[in-house]
Amino acid sequence: MTRTLPDGTVTAAVPAARPADPPALDPPAAQAAALAVRDVRIRDDVNDREIVHGVSFELRPGRAVGIVGESGSGKTLTCRAILGILPAHFAVSGGSIEIVGRDIAELTTPQWTDLRGSTISAVFQDPASYLNPSIKVGAQIAEVIGVKTGLRRRAARRRALELLTAVHLRDPELVYDQYTFELSGGMLQRILIATAIAADPQVLIADEATTALDVTVQAEILDLLADLRERRGLALVVVSHDLAVVAQVCDEVLVMREGEVVEHGSTADVLYHPRHEYTRLLIAEHEQYGLDRYLAGEQRKELDSVH
Amino acid sequence: MSTDGRPVLEVADLEVHYGLRRRRRRVLHGVSLSVSRGETVGVIGETGSGKSTFARAVLGLVRASGGRILIDGEDVSRYSSRQWRALRRRGVVQYVFQDPLRSLDPDLPVEESLIEPLLVQGVGRKEAIERGRGYLARVRLDSELFGRLPGELSGGQRQRVAVARALITEPALIILDEPVSALDSANRVGILEILKELRDAGVALIFISHDLGSVAGVADRVAVLYQGEFVEVGATHAVINTPQHPYARLLVGSAPTLRSAAASRAERDALRALLHA
Amino acid sequence: MVRRVLALPTGRLAVGVLSVIALLAILGPTLAPHNPLGTSALTLTGPSWKHWLGTDYLGRDVFSRLLAGSRTSVLGSVEVALIALAVGVVPGILSVYLGRGFEWFTLRIADTLLALPFLIYAVAVTALLGNGIPQAMFTVGVLVSPLFYRVTRAATLAVARSQYVEAALISGASIGWIARRHVWGKVLPPVAVALAQTIGVGFVVVSSLSFLGIGVQPPAPTWGGLLASDLGYLSYQPWAPIVPALLIMATVWGSNLLADAIRDVSGEAGRALLNSRRARARRLNPAEPIPAGGAAR
Repeated sequence: MTRTLPDGTVTAAVPAARPADPPALDPPAAQAAALAVRDVRIRDDVNDREIVHGVSFELRPGRAVGIVGESGSGKTLTCRAILGILPAHFAVSGGSIEIVGRDIAELTTPQWTDLRGSTISAVFQDPASYLNPSIKVGAQIAEVIGVKTGLRRRAARRRALELLTAVHLRDPELVYDQYTFELSGGMLQRILIATAIAADPQVLIADEATTALDVTVQAEILDLLADLRERRGLALVVVSHDLAVVAQVCDEVLVMREGEVVEHGSTADVLYHPRHEYTRLLIAEHEQYGLDRYLAGEQRKELDSVH
Repeated sequence: MSTDGRPVLEVADLEVHYGLRRRRRRVLHGVSLSVSRGETVGVIGETGSGKSTFARAVLGLVRASGGRILIDGEDVSRYSSRQWRALRRRGVVQYVFQDPLRSLDPDLPVEESLIEPLLVQGVGRKEAIERGRGYLARVRLDSELFGRLPGELSGGQRQRVAVARALITEPALIILDEPVSALDSANRVGILEILKELRDAGVALIFISHDLGSVAGVADRVAVLYQGEFVEVGATHAVINTPQHPYARLLVGSAPTLRSAAASRAERDALRALLHA
Repeated sequence: MVRRVLALPTGRLAVGVLSVIALLAILGPTLAPHNPLGTSALTLTGPSWKHWLGTDYLGRDVFSRLLAGSRTSVLGSVEVALIALAVGVVPGILSVYLGRGFEWFTLRIADTLLALPFLIYAVAVTALLGNGIPQAMFTVGVLVSPLFYRVTRAATLAVARSQYVEAALISGASIGWIARRHVWGKVLPPVAVALAQTIGVGFVVVSSLSFLGIGVQPPAPTWGGLLASDLGYLSYQPWAPIVPALLIMATVWGSNLLADAIRDVSGEAGRALLNSRRARARRLNPAEPIPAGGAAR
């Protein structure tokens, strides 16, 4: 445990411990962005209020952007807008969303069906509720593979086992034949991630995907996401209420509050030079009440002198 | 810290089993812990580690199969359900659930949920409401909220109501099960500050969580529960800075932190391998 | 809840229809312009000023018979519902609290009752206890009581496992306290739905039985009996069964509509429904401002 050293010598290598910038990938298309969100606004028709007041970011392949905010800040609505699954009586009232260069406002239902899974995919907070409890999990992954890639049963099974291995499940053959109630939350989340990447999407949205998990399991899932990003060039949108989670995986952070983006910048900038009061609150919370209070005391003094 | 005074809670060699005969399995084994007035102890463990069972045993909701539990010096391990009810009515030990939306009756105004422990004690309605207002102020809530339904409050307000409800019987010990994990930052800090005040006022607190980080700021001591046993008990800074047991080390290495480097993936994998061996 | 039911158009309609039927039941016999049992030489006539709905095969005034028969029909269905309620609800709540033995026992009884065909049983019981609507309805009531038992039990189970009940237990509350304070309010809406639905079922049963001539001594009028006698003279008056049939249908429809309305306005689903209505109203009429308060999540 390097960072348990009290003198802080090892932990001084902070920026290096952040996920290093991925090797500069050549943009596959001219536009380069896997996902472009431009000034998206979302309105609630029930009381005629705008809930999200303009979110913009661009995501290139192999990069990760994080959205931090409390419940009701509009971060989940933004994700749902990107996926085209806004709840009833919510609607995008302004701005545009482009997935690999295609404006989603012009997509028809069959085009959406085609796009979801194979180009953009998502995992959410409560993995158990996204799986059918009466069907073996392997069959459920194979079904997605069958629908999305047209593989026959045998081949789909083989592919499913490959994916289960790719998400670091210890015994894929065993897990394939198990039901949801036999698996832990962390394992289910891995299975959902395996399903989400089954059709080789370019963008993966992880909306509070680790919130309900134990801390040690959360670390494993975050490791897995970082791994997928490095090896497959997956572009990630990581949504969380915890700044630390987002900081661990992302190169770029948006801080949202009450539907507004109050801070947007590179992770290092946001952590070390927060401009908005709310971002400072998020950081202060970790420093006063989190592990940061005990760890790397030296470092903190340095930072305090910077402010 | 004011850790002097006799312990409010003493647990010695607690054993809890679930199930009967063949299905019988051990959930807690040889668990010992003592908590004094004005002390905050964090109990950290993952899902299935037995941390909720520990709380439920102390509250008399599950029966211990071995060991002793002393509340305020009184041995409660052999209590009948009637004795338990009498003890609970005195309100010496209170409990705060993780999710206030579920622990407050959705069809009752918060006022009713708040004063319920007093009404159960037989306190008159008028007096109970009067006292309820005082406690609402103590958790910094406007008594305007009194007549609202839980669904009409924000998550932070609801959790404050739940804390006020636990305070209303002037308990010596409050057990809190992940009281801040469902809350956003501002509210989390708000609740933690209230808890600190309580500790300074001499209330003993047991703070149950899966996340070491969430108790680091308030706990004087930390007990790490792994597979039904306390594998590491010590002062918070000691457990965080020099954890001994592999699980405790993994716990520290997994907690998301802002600026200090988390343990590397390789380190975590090595610790996991050690644990599974 | 009453106010919320009345806020729905379907709720208002259901309550309207059922009120008219209830008025008929209360005032019908006194309003009847002719003696419902009085025969005359004018058999099977069409509607006229004297006989609004014509006369039947014995020359009796059909309109008077409909009015006079409404009380028996309505009282019978209400009796079914109330007996089912009384027999089903209490064991339903207790099955959750009185331990495994009682639970197993009541569940098996409920299964048994569900397996019995109630119409045939009602016929058999009237043969035993005497041919009368109360006897028949009592039997039917007992036989449909598993509906209430199940509904109450399901609602109670959900409450019994909730955290607020555990919180009350930790505060030292007794089972009685919990039942009064936390369980009752949650069990009431589903029971109200079941009650409205059972009144509809009861109505069909009363009508079916009286159609078969069971439970009512022949000259006494009921809607089902009218329907039966009208069917016998279909070739003379093909339109005659329409009126009693419409009345029966309207009542059953009103009961089911009321059941739906109660279900729609209670609980989480109710709030969602009201929200979507508000959103639709907003879209149709964007000029009208709508207060933002009370937005559900």
